[in-house]
Amino acid sequence: MSFENNISEFGENVIEINHLEKSFNGRTVLKDINLFLKRSENVVVLGKSGIGKSVLIKCIVGLIQPDSGSLKVFGKEVSEMNTKELNNLRTKVGFIFQGNALYDSMTVRENLEFPLRRNKILKDKKEIEELIVDALENVGLLEAIDKMPAELSGGMKKRIGLARTLILKPEIILYDEPTTGLDPLTSKEISNLILKIQTKYKASSIVITHDLNCAKITSNRMLILQDGVFLAKGTFEELQNSDNEWVRSFFEMA
Amino acid sequence: MQNNPTNNSVNNFFIELGGLSRFTLQFFRELFRPPYEHKEFLRQAYQVGLNTLPLISITAFIMGLVLTLQSKPVMAEFGAESWLPGMVSVSIVREIGPVITALICAGKIGSGIGAELGSMRVTEQIDAMEVSGTNPLKYLVVTRVLATTFMIPILVFYADAISFYGSYLAVNLKDFLSLPLFMNLAFDPLHFYDLIPATIKTFFFGFAIGIIGCYKGYYAQNGTEGVGKAANSAVVISSLVIFIMDLIAVQLADLFNVFIR
Repeated sequence: MSFENNISEFGENVIEINHLEKSFNGRTVLKDINLFLKRSENVVVLGKSGIGKSVLIKCIVGLIQPDSGSLKVFGKEVSEMNTKELNNLRTKVGFIFQGNALYDSMTVRENLEFPLRRNKILKDKKEIEELIVDALENVGLLEAIDKMPAELSGGMKKRIGLARTLILKPEIILYDEPTTGLDPLTSKEISNLILKIQTKYKASSIVITHDLNCAKITSNRMLILQDGVFLAKGTFEELQNSDNEWVRSFFEMA
Repeated sequence: MQNNPTNNSVNNFFIELGGLSRFTLQFFRELFRPPYEHKEFLRQAYQVGLNTLPLISITAFIMGLVLTLQSKPVMAEFGAESWLPGMVSVSIVREIGPVITALICAGKIGSGIGAELGSMRVTEQIDAMEVSGTNPLKYLVVTRVLATTFMIPILVFYADAISFYGSYLAVNLKDFLSLPLFMNLAFDPLHFYDLIPATIKTFFFGFAIGIIGCYKGYYAQNGTEGVGKAANSAVVISSLVIFIMDLIAVQLADLFNVFIR
């Protein structure tokens, strides 16, 4: 399927980024970023480590402020949102952190309860319990409900991180290196889970990765970030056979 | 200006001071803004009390005991042994109790807060909290700073009481003095103008321990090495600030006494 056909099958834009720039201590990380994400679409951003991929998705949820450019989520400019609007947006945009970011001092159940209680989405104990069980069943880890994060393996932590994000039923999910540090088998399981979530929840996703297998499984569309700009875009097959020598060599080396 | 180590140290000092001042302002802004985190505040207050109680009990007991044993021969030389409980009580209530308790808390609580928040920062738990719609400054910082601010004065009162008991036992090692008489002699020279400045300064000690620990942890960088540095500098800086605050408090207490008496 070509790049253009791939885009047309999805809904309206949920994220629109135009001419986004971000520098740290005089070093420009993102130069001229233009990106859109359509409803129910999975976009993979591929690139070398330390090139600014995570910075890009942190800008989307307002964890990092861009220096210039426009960044709209659900049609609203993120930089113009007040705290209440930003918190409201964050309940609709899930974020999976590279290191999982599970709260060490809480059990898996408390980790999943936390976003529900903080956002006062549900007050009834029974409803909260049902949601937690449902989220854990979705990632196949119901037996870990009373365990502490320290008792879990890397792959299990990733799944619990996913469950914690899914519990708020986000419309957009941002994955920051979801398969980093995992063995090939677990990486494949996590990649399939991302695909399952897209189908089941109709969620749009941006997946930041340098794992080509993950990109191949999860992507509807791919973008390659290099030197602060998107060097190439297209489907996995299109990029694999790209005219650009750098892109081809990236695929070969990866 | 030439870039030398002295200039860097001076620059770093002012950068830290500016950062801490800005962080303190943010704390006060969040303090009065709803929602209020009552449950988390109570949990933190409980933790602060529970974690330090055994250490403070032992230290305070030894403090009272040693102070009495060391002072006894000198007082006996002047035939002023009956003043021993009073001397010990004034020393403990005005100075030793608040400072030693605050220093223990700086070591135990300050480092704990620095390490806990530092570890949460480097493992992105603070970011995770923020993206789940929770204000981490309010949930993590305000609750901890309030907990230390209100718990340290209570711990100081407790430490004073334990020290008195240590002192009472020290007096009774060789001589006999009943507990009511000891307490009478201990409280007789104590006045409200001893107690008020000593109590007020403990709130400031508690605030300093909390805000410095939170600041160092909240802005920790560079992985586990950064967590260690955050915990370490939280103790060093808050101990130093406690001594500086005590110096200022002594001068202010003298002024206060001049007006009261």
